[in-house]
Amino acid sequence: MAGSGRDERAWVRRAQAGSASDFEALFRAHWGPAYRAAYLVVRDAAAAEDIAQEGFLAAVRALDRFDRRRPFGPWLHRIVVNRAIDWARARALRPEAEQVDAAAPEQPERDEQLLRELSKLSPEHRAVIVLRYLLDYTPGEIAELLELPRGTVNSRLRRGLDSLKERL
Amino acid sequence: MRFRAPREHEAEERAWQVVSAAYAEREPVAWPRRHVRPLVAGALVAAVVAAILSPPGRSVVHSLRKAVGVQRAEQALFSLPTPGQLLVTSRTGTWLVRQDGSKRLLGRYRDAAFSPHGLFIAATRANQLVALDPKGNVRWTLARPGPRFPAWTGTSTDTRIAYLSGGRLRIVAGDGTGDRALGRAALVAPAWRPGPGRVIAFAATPESVIVLNADDGTVLRRLRSSEPVRKLRWSSEGLLLVFAPHATRVYDRRGRVVEEDDSSEATFDRDAAFIGKTPEVAAIRAAGLGSSIFSLASGRAFFNGSGVLSQLVSSPDGRWLLLAWPTANQWVFVRLQPRKIVGVSRVTQQFGRSATIQGWCCAG
Repeated sequence: MAGSGRDERAWVRRAQAGSASDFEALFRAHWGPAYRAAYLVVRDAAAAEDIAQEGFLAAVRALDRFDRRRPFGPWLHRIVVNRAIDWARARALRPEAEQVDAAAPEQPERDEQLLRELSKLSPEHRAVIVLRYLLDYTPGEIAELLELPRGTVNSRLRRGLDSLKERL
Repeated sequence: MRFRAPREHEAEERAWQVVSAAYAEREPVAWPRRHVRPLVAGALVAAVVAAILSPPGRSVVHSLRKAVGVQRAEQALFSLPTPGQLLVTSRTGTWLVRQDGSKRLLGRYRDAAFSPHGLFIAATRANQLVALDPKGNVRWTLARPGPRFPAWTGTSTDTRIAYLSGGRLRIVAGDGTGDRALGRAALVAPAWRPGPGRVIAFAATPESVIVLNADDGTVLRRLRSSEPVRKLRWSSEGLLLVFAPHATRVYDRRGRVVEEDDSSEATFDRDAAFIGKTPEVAAIRAAGLGSSIFSLASGRAFFNGSGVLSQLVSSPDGRWLLLAWPTANQWVFVRLQPRKIVGVSRVTQQFGRSATIQGWCCAG
């Protein structure tokens, strides 16, 4: 999981100055959450890998401009989740691309069922649930990340959870 | 919820290869921001190239191919779709590809360009400018430090080769004699104006372009760009394309802007070229994971797709565009009218890594 805020600011600062080891620390700390968030939205491991990777490439591109006072994680997750939503929407328009990856083999059965049901929600609903319950963002933070009114985030959370509850 | 996505660790290691390559290519740069963009774009291109052989790049090829609209993907470059011949450079060397698909490795050269009628090739290697015949036989060499970007112009009896060496634009006759320096030049390929007279455009600095009469040294035009110029090209009618990822311009003979393209912060152009002998410019616009090929003048999209397309070359007759698609290890031939799209797979296996199309010339 991501390091403390102070660690993270130091990594960003030194990565901006050219320290490859600090950039790697930043990458290692944030890869897992970014990849999982993308995966839960798109339910396709290869696409999630591409999306998370593109998020980090965007981070490399913007590294020199990055404001070190801001936390890195939300900024990255915003890119990743928005791209994942776009990808999932695009796939929904392509009926040939309905294949969904099996969950990781070590998942308990209950989690597998949850993931299956999660994948049946719309990308927008999936995204807020992933951000809220996987990445632990508050509704206010999600609203800021996805540039949505807070009420919209709350209603998507409510509807998403209601839908999951009915199916489970 | 404790959750691990499938193949998380493997995905992390693969992504790290690509992302660390992009980071390694990056140079920490101070403001202004406009100086950052070209470097980052370069790093991204390097990362994309690094991704050619990685599973994430390959994994989306199928869906991207559908999205791009490739109707048929050949396993090799069996033939060119229209008369002409291609020059390609890669880490393996320089290749000449005939219309029938036969190809010859001319040698290990860095840059290459056709002579005006495609009968010879000017190429560069570490400290030599070299003139070759199509069989790869060396006709002459000229020792110069780090020569780059040869450009050949003239008639069948009197030709000139422009190239860069030692930070200067130099010009030599087609037989290797009379080499002389003209002026300071940035590392951008110079371009000769087609037609009578020997007029050349070159970047004097990354953000300024000079149009020069090479015979008498008269400066005909000085043009400024708001960001570093990447490419210069002339149309057969004498329009000058000055390509920059966020500030592409087309100038007429009087130096007036007749087309312009300022992409947004979120997008940038990867390449642009005149379509055949027409004044129409096609450009590749990159936005996230997608690319759009469109006409600069009309905005008409030739196609939109999810692939990261990186290079655009027009066939000599203007009927086809050739696009490099490095993440899919493919080239894509696009016929404009009636539309047809054909992919060629396994580019790296055929030409070597970092294959770059140097020119698509007249039938030899």
